[in-house]
Amino acid sequence: MSEPFSSSTTGRASSGSESPSQPVSPDQISELLKGVAAKDRSAFATLYEATAPKLLGTIIRILNNRGWAEEVVHDTYIKIWRKADQFDATKASAITWMVTIARNGAIDELRKQPASRKAPEDELNQLASKEPNAQSQVENQQTVNRLNLCLEELEKDRRDMVRLAYLNGWSRADLATHFDQPVNTVKTWLHRALKQLKGCLTP
Amino acid sequence: MTDRDDLDMLAAEFVLGTLDARERAAVAVRRQSEPDLDEMITAWERRLSALADEVTPVTPDPELYQQIEQHIDALETRLAGADTDSHDKSNVVSLHKRLRRWQWSTALASAAAMVLVAVLIFQPAPEQRPQSFVAVFQQNDQQPAFMLSVDLNNRQMQIRPVTAEPMQGKSYQMWIKADSLGPNPRSLGVLSDNFELERAALHDYDPELLKEATFGISVEPEGGSPTGQPTGPAIHGYLYPVADEAPGPSH
Repeated sequence: MSEPFSSSTTGRASSGSESPSQPVSPDQISELLKGVAAKDRSAFATLYEATAPKLLGTIIRILNNRGWAEEVVHDTYIKIWRKADQFDATKASAITWMVTIARNGAIDELRKQPASRKAPEDELNQLASKEPNAQSQVENQQTVNRLNLCLEELEKDRRDMVRLAYLNGWSRADLATHFDQPVNTVKTWLHRALKQLKGCLTP
Repeated sequence: MTDRDDLDMLAAEFVLGTLDARERAAVAVRRQSEPDLDEMITAWERRLSALADEVTPVTPDPELYQQIEQHIDALETRLAGADTDSHDKSNVVSLHKRLRRWQWSTALASAAAMVLVAVLIFQPAPEQRPQSFVAVFQQNDQQPAFMLSVDLNNRQMQIRPVTAEPMQGKSYQMWIKADSLGPNPRSLGVLSDNFELERAALHDYDPELLKEATFGISVEPEGGSPTGQPTGPAIHGYLYPVADEAPGPSH
């Protein structure tokens, strides 16, 4: 368990147990979030059960440390409890809204005390071995396919940069070190990649 | 490149996560007052969200949900306390129920030998109705080792030992942890032989922060933790409001 005051004995994250992902539809998650906004504790419990593995998986991948990641999950669900009434279904899907809170929390933590990237090769292998989830949890399959198509159009290095940043929390400096480029070049490449993605995704 | 393009790239990198801590904090503040920037950020969140789809889910430990529930209990009880006109006994009754659940879950949660602490916060409400908070951390159904009372107005705290005794070659160290203080607990100081802390120990902390914070006491080598972080067995908890005729912790 993650105790705020426990001595820091948490090691690097193991991949942890994988959840048999409960298929909960985006609409159901949205409904549950409405319940949470009305301070319905049982809706909160169901929402947690349906989404916590996704959020923990997202955060662990960024922080690489299970104990630390569980603390961020804790903070994330407290924020979800407090801010559920601010969720606007016209702007984002419920799960995207939650993943955003989780990612922001994890990246803020990481930037405050950057852990050195001990095993960038592992993280790169992780990128290579991605498996499409049978049950898309975050977005509908069409959206996923479309983004993947657009990513495929990027040069490989730039595609890897975008994914390492978004999924693994790599900073410009991390990317500069790994790709052996000045930070400003990384920034330029990222901007080009992002603009190209935006153009490709714009109908 | 136009200013608007620059702003869009700032939003994109904020969402991508590649900005450094200072830039991230600056963007987080700016978006509150710049609807354009806020909209660009939301648009990028939507554009890139499908990337999160390839993350492998990891099931959290069951204890994590219990901790979150306890935290929410504390938040909600505090709100209820603030809204209620008459601080009647019902507050006390529900508090006692919670105490029992806490004792049980804390005992389950850790096999380490732990010291016990009770935290009491006395806070005058706007209409001068004293409002107090209590959190009891208990292990093995023993008496609490400490009670801590905090006066939020002048940020003074008082530690009263209940069953705790000075330990040969060991010191008790007090910690505070809150979202806004970052991921690690901060030391409030090492308790003296008379179980006292410096009077200024809480001066750097806003009363609002103190209400949200988690307090803890750990057992450390004599003189305090050598690392700046808790190294020995520690306990922690959140604060619960009680009626102003604050009962002592039961048992």
